[in-house]
Amino acid sequence: MNSVGEACTELKREYDQCFNRWFAEKFLKGENAGDPCGQLFKRYQLCVQKAIKEKDIPIEGLEFMGPSKGKAENAS
Amino acid sequence: MKIWTSEHVFDHPWETVTTAAMQKYPNPMNPSVIGVDVLDRHVDPSGKLHSHRLLSTEWGMPSIVKSLIGACRTKTYVQEHSVVDPVEKTMELKSSNISFTNLVSVDERLIYKPHPQEPEKTILTQEAIISVKGVSVSSYLEGLMENTISSNANKGREALEWVISKLNAEIEEFTASARGSMRTSMAAAAFVEK
Repeated sequence: MNSVGEACTELKREYDQCFNRWFAEKFLKGENAGDPCGQLFKRYQLCVQKAIKEKDIPIEGLEFMGPSKGKAENAS
Repeated sequence: MKIWTSEHVFDHPWETVTTAAMQKYPNPMNPSVIGVDVLDRHVDPSGKLHSHRLLSTEWGMPSIVKSLIGACRTKTYVQEHSVVDPVEKTMELKSSNISFTNLVSVDERLIYKPHPQEPEKTILTQEAIISVKGVSVSSYLEGLMENTISSNANKGREALEWVISKLNAEIEEFTASARGSMRTSMAAAAFVEK
Protein backbone atom coordinates (compact mmCIF):
# COMPACT_ATOMS: atom_id res chain seq x y z
CA MET A 1 0.00 0.00 0.00
CA ASN A 2 1.33 3.39 -0.86
CA SER A 3 1.51 6.55 1.14
CA VAL A 4 -0.18 9.80 0.12
CA GLY A 5 3.34 11.09 -0.35
CA GLU A 6 5.20 8.95 -2.86
CA ALA A 7 8.50 9.54 -1.07
CA CYS A 8 7.05 8.28 2.21
CA THR A 9 6.01 4.81 1.03
CA GLU A 10 9.17 3.02 2.15
CA LEU A 11 9.10 4.68 5.58
CA LYS A 12 5.44 3.76 5.85
CA ARG A 13 6.15 0.10 5.04
CA GLU A 14 8.85 -0.15 7.71
CA TYR A 15 6.57 1.43 10.29
CA ASP A 16 3.56 -0.72 9.29
CA GLN A 17 5.59 -3.92 9.64
CA CYS A 18 6.70 -2.91 13.13
CA PHE A 19 3.23 -1.81 14.19
CA ASN A 20 1.37 -4.87 12.82
CA ARG A 21 3.71 -7.20 14.71
CA TRP A 22 3.39 -5.24 17.97
CA PHE A 23 -0.39 -4.97 17.60
CA ALA A 24 -1.04 -8.70 17.11
CA GLU A 25 1.67 -10.12 19.37
CA LYS A 26 1.66 -7.63 22.24
CA PHE A 27 -1.16 -5.12 22.31
CA LEU A 28 -4.07 -7.52 21.72
CA LYS A 29 -2.62 -9.93 24.28
CA GLY A 30 -2.69 -7.25 26.95
CA GLU A 31 1.05 -6.61 26.96
CA ASN A 32 1.35 -2.91 26.61
CA ALA A 33 4.86 -2.47 27.91
CA GLY A 34 5.70 0.18 25.37
CA ASP A 35 5.78 1.13 21.75
CA PRO A 36 8.85 -0.23 19.94
CA CYS A 37 7.91 1.65 16.78
CA GLY A 38 8.27 5.23 18.06
CA GLN A 39 11.37 6.16 16.06
CA LEU A 40 10.04 4.67 12.83
CA PHE A 41 6.76 6.50 13.33
CA LYS A 42 8.45 9.87 13.84
CA ARG A 43 10.45 9.58 10.63
CA TYR A 44 7.39 8.46 8.70
CA GLN A 45 5.27 11.29 10.17
CA LEU A 46 7.68 14.06 9.19
CA CYS A 47 7.45 12.86 5.61
CA VAL A 48 3.65 12.56 5.61
CA GLN A 49 3.05 15.97 7.18
CA LYS A 50 5.13 17.55 4.44
CA ALA A 51 3.23 15.68 1.72
CA ILE A 52 -0.15 16.69 3.16
CA LYS A 53 0.82 20.37 3.25
CA GLU A 54 2.17 20.18 -0.29
CA LYS A 55 -0.97 18.55 -1.62
CA ASP A 56 -3.18 20.86 0.42
CA ILE A 57 -5.28 18.03 1.83
CA PRO A 58 -7.95 19.46 4.16
CA ILE A 59 -7.15 17.69 7.43
CA GLU A 60 -8.69 19.40 10.42
CA GLY A 61 -8.55 19.10 14.13
CA LEU A 62 -5.24 17.31 14.44
CA GLU A 63 -2.58 19.02 16.53
CA PHE A 64 0.31 18.67 14.12
CA MET A 65 -1.36 20.86 11.52
CA GLY A 66 -1.16 23.84 13.87
CA PRO A 67 -3.62 26.68 14.45
CA SER A 68 -2.70 28.48 11.23
CA LYS A 69 -4.58 26.03 9.05
CA GLY A 70 -8.03 27.52 8.65
CA LYS A 71 -11.30 25.65 8.23
CA ALA A 72 -11.07 24.20 4.72
CA GLU A 73 -14.46 23.17 3.45
CA ASN A 74 -13.91 23.68 -0.24
CA ALA A 75 -13.96 20.77 -2.66
CA SER A 76 -10.55 19.39 -3.52
CA MET B 1 -30.44 12.56 5.33
CA LYS B 2 -30.55 8.79 5.42
CA ILE B 3 -29.33 6.25 7.86
CA TRP B 4 -28.28 2.81 6.72
CA THR B 5 -27.45 0.07 9.21
CA SER B 6 -26.36 -3.52 8.99
CA GLU B 7 -25.09 -6.40 11.09
CA HIS B 8 -22.75 -9.19 10.01
CA VAL B 9 -21.11 -12.17 11.70
CA PHE B 10 -17.55 -13.24 10.84
CA ASP B 11 -16.70 -16.85 11.53
CA HIS B 12 -13.40 -15.81 13.13
CA PRO B 13 -12.38 -14.69 16.60
CA TRP B 14 -12.32 -10.99 17.42
CA GLU B 15 -8.50 -10.79 17.59
CA THR B 16 -8.20 -12.19 14.05
CA VAL B 17 -10.81 -9.81 12.62
CA THR B 18 -9.31 -6.78 14.39
CA THR B 19 -5.78 -7.63 13.21
CA ALA B 20 -7.11 -7.99 9.66
CA ALA B 21 -9.05 -4.72 9.91
CA MET B 22 -5.84 -2.86 10.78
CA GLN B 23 -4.24 -4.27 7.62
CA LYS B 24 -7.30 -4.07 5.42
CA TYR B 25 -5.63 -2.28 2.49
CA PRO B 26 -4.61 -3.13 -0.13
CA ASN B 27 -7.11 -5.77 -1.09
CA PRO B 28 -8.68 -6.73 -4.42
CA MET B 29 -12.20 -5.72 -3.35
CA ASN B 30 -11.30 -2.08 -2.75
CA PRO B 31 -9.04 -1.19 -5.69
CA SER B 32 -9.96 2.46 -5.45
CA VAL B 33 -8.12 2.84 -2.13
CA ILE B 34 -4.64 3.72 -3.29
CA GLY B 35 -3.08 5.19 -0.18
CA VAL B 36 -3.36 4.78 3.57
CA ASP B 37 -1.44 6.89 6.07
CA VAL B 38 -1.42 7.00 9.83
CA LEU B 39 -1.65 10.61 10.97
CA ASP B 40 -1.64 9.91 14.67
CA ARG B 41 -1.56 6.89 16.91
CA HIS B 42 -1.41 6.62 20.66
CA VAL B 43 -2.56 4.52 23.59
CA ASP B 44 -4.76 6.54 25.93
CA PRO B 45 -4.52 6.39 29.76
CA SER B 46 -7.21 3.68 29.86
CA GLY B 47 -5.17 1.44 27.54
CA LYS B 48 -7.17 1.93 24.37
CA LEU B 49 -5.33 2.36 21.06
CA HIS B 50 -6.41 5.37 19.00
CA SER B 51 -5.47 5.68 15.34
CA HIS B 52 -6.19 8.54 12.98
CA ARG B 53 -5.74 7.56 9.37
CA LEU B 54 -6.02 9.22 5.99
CA LEU B 55 -7.29 7.18 3.08
CA SER B 56 -6.63 8.34 -0.48
CA THR B 57 -8.99 7.03 -3.10
CA GLU B 58 -8.85 7.21 -6.86
CA TRP B 59 -12.04 6.47 -8.69
CA GLY B 60 -10.55 5.57 -12.08
CA MET B 61 -11.90 8.46 -14.05
CA PRO B 62 -11.41 8.29 -17.80
CA SER B 63 -8.06 9.77 -18.78
CA ILE B 64 -9.72 12.52 -20.80
CA VAL B 65 -11.41 13.81 -17.65
CA LYS B 66 -8.11 13.62 -15.81
CA SER B 67 -6.36 15.61 -18.49
CA LEU B 68 -9.10 18.27 -18.35
CA ILE B 69 -9.26 18.74 -14.60
CA GLY B 70 -5.75 17.64 -13.70
CA ALA B 71 -4.70 14.25 -12.34
CA CYS B 72 -4.24 15.50 -8.75
CA ARG B 73 -7.85 16.55 -8.46
CA THR B 74 -9.30 13.10 -9.12
CA LYS B 75 -8.20 11.87 -5.70
CA THR B 76 -10.66 12.00 -2.84
CA TYR B 77 -9.81 11.69 0.80
CA VAL B 78 -11.42 10.06 3.81
CA GLN B 79 -10.35 10.37 7.40
CA GLU B 80 -10.77 7.52 9.81
CA HIS B 81 -10.56 7.33 13.60
CA SER B 82 -10.41 3.94 15.27
CA VAL B 83 -10.32 2.88 18.90
CA VAL B 84 -9.29 -0.63 19.95
CA ASP B 85 -9.99 -1.78 23.51
CA PRO B 86 -8.07 -5.02 24.10
CA VAL B 87 -9.71 -5.62 27.48
CA GLU B 88 -13.37 -5.12 26.52
CA LYS B 89 -12.59 -6.53 23.04
CA THR B 90 -14.16 -3.81 20.97
CA MET B 91 -12.92 -2.03 17.90
CA GLU B 92 -14.79 1.06 16.84
CA LEU B 93 -14.09 2.79 13.57
CA LYS B 94 -15.56 6.11 12.42
CA SER B 95 -14.86 7.59 9.04
CA SER B 96 -15.99 10.63 7.10
CA ASN B 97 -15.10 12.16 3.76
CA ILE B 98 -12.96 15.26 3.78
CA SER B 99 -13.27 15.90 0.06
CA PHE B 100 -16.42 17.40 -1.41
CA THR B 101 -17.78 18.19 2.04
CA ASN B 102 -19.69 21.09 0.50
CA LEU B 103 -21.64 18.59 -1.59
CA VAL B 104 -22.06 15.46 0.44
CA SER B 105 -21.25 14.00 3.84
CA VAL B 106 -20.78 10.30 4.30
CA ASP B 107 -20.17 9.31 7.90
CA GLU B 108 -19.67 5.68 8.73
CA ARG B 109 -19.40 3.91 12.04
CA LEU B 110 -18.33 0.28 12.49
CA ILE B 111 -18.10 -1.69 15.71
CA TYR B 112 -16.45 -5.12 15.94
CA LYS B 113 -17.14 -7.22 19.03
CA PRO B 114 -17.01 -10.91 19.96
CA HIS B 115 -20.38 -12.50 19.23
CA PRO B 116 -22.36 -12.50 22.51
CA GLN B 117 -23.55 -16.11 22.08
CA GLU B 118 -20.62 -17.57 20.11
CA PRO B 119 -17.36 -16.11 21.44
CA GLU B 120 -15.25 -17.65 18.66
CA LYS B 121 -17.09 -15.45 16.18
CA THR B 122 -17.16 -11.70 15.68
CA ILE B 123 -20.15 -9.47 15.15
CA LEU B 124 -19.88 -6.29 13.12
CA THR B 125 -22.51 -3.57 13.33
CA GLN B 126 -22.27 -0.83 10.75
CA GLU B 127 -24.11 2.38 10.11
CA ALA B 128 -23.81 5.14 7.57
CA ILE B 129 -25.31 8.60 7.59
CA ILE B 130 -25.42 10.29 4.26
CA SER B 131 -26.47 13.82 3.58
CA VAL B 132 -26.48 15.57 0.27
CA LYS B 133 -26.43 19.34 0.56
CA GLY B 134 -28.60 21.88 -1.16
CA VAL B 135 -29.79 19.70 -4.00
CA SER B 136 -33.51 19.29 -4.64
CA VAL B 137 -33.24 15.67 -5.82
CA SER B 138 -31.40 14.87 -2.61
CA SER B 139 -33.44 11.86 -1.60
CA TYR B 140 -32.89 10.22 -5.02
CA LEU B 141 -29.16 10.83 -4.81
CA GLU B 142 -29.13 9.64 -1.22
CA GLY B 143 -30.91 6.47 -2.38
CA LEU B 144 -28.20 5.90 -5.02
CA MET B 145 -25.48 6.40 -2.46
CA GLU B 146 -27.18 4.03 -0.09
CA ASN B 147 -26.98 1.23 -2.68
CA THR B 148 -23.33 2.00 -3.22
CA ILE B 149 -22.68 1.97 0.51
CA SER B 150 -24.48 -1.34 0.89
CA SER B 151 -22.52 -2.99 -1.90
CA ASN B 152 -19.31 -1.43 -0.61
CA ALA B 153 -20.07 -2.85 2.81
CA ASN B 154 -20.30 -6.32 1.28
CA LYS B 155 -16.99 -5.72 -0.48
CA GLY B 156 -15.52 -4.53 2.80
CA ARG B 157 -16.53 -7.73 4.55
CA GLU B 158 -15.19 -9.84 1.65
CA ALA B 159 -12.02 -7.79 1.89
CA LEU B 160 -11.58 -8.71 5.56
CA GLU B 161 -12.14 -12.40 4.78
CA TRP B 162 -9.47 -12.09 2.07
CA VAL B 163 -6.98 -10.46 4.46
CA ILE B 164 -7.69 -13.12 7.12
CA SER B 165 -6.99 -15.96 4.62
CA LYS B 166 -3.79 -14.24 3.55
CA LEU B 167 -2.59 -13.84 7.15
CA ASN B 168 -3.46 -17.49 7.95
CA ALA B 169 -1.61 -18.69 4.85
CA GLU B 170 1.46 -16.69 5.89
CA ILE B 171 1.34 -18.24 9.37
CA GLU B 172 1.00 -21.77 7.91
CA GLU B 173 3.91 -21.20 5.56
CA PHE B 174 6.07 -19.89 8.39
CA THR B 175 5.13 -22.84 10.65
CA ALA B 176 5.83 -25.35 7.87
CA SER B 177 9.25 -23.93 7.12
CA ALA B 178 10.07 -23.70 10.85
CA ARG B 179 9.00 -27.34 11.26
CA GLY B 180 11.16 -28.26 8.25
CA SER B 181 14.25 -26.60 9.63
CA MET B 182 13.63 -28.09 13.10
CA ARG B 183 13.48 -31.58 11.57
CA THR B 184 16.73 -30.95 9.72
CA SER B 185 18.51 -29.78 12.89
CA MET B 186 17.10 -32.69 14.94
CA ALA B 187 18.23 -35.16 12.29
CA ALA B 188 21.68 -33.54 12.24
CA ALA B 189 21.86 -33.69 16.07
CA ALA B 190 20.81 -37.37 16.09
CA PHE B 191 23.44 -38.14 13.44
CA VAL B 192 26.14 -36.36 15.44
CA GLU B 193 25.12 -38.23 18.64
CA LYS B 194 25.60 -41.56 16.87
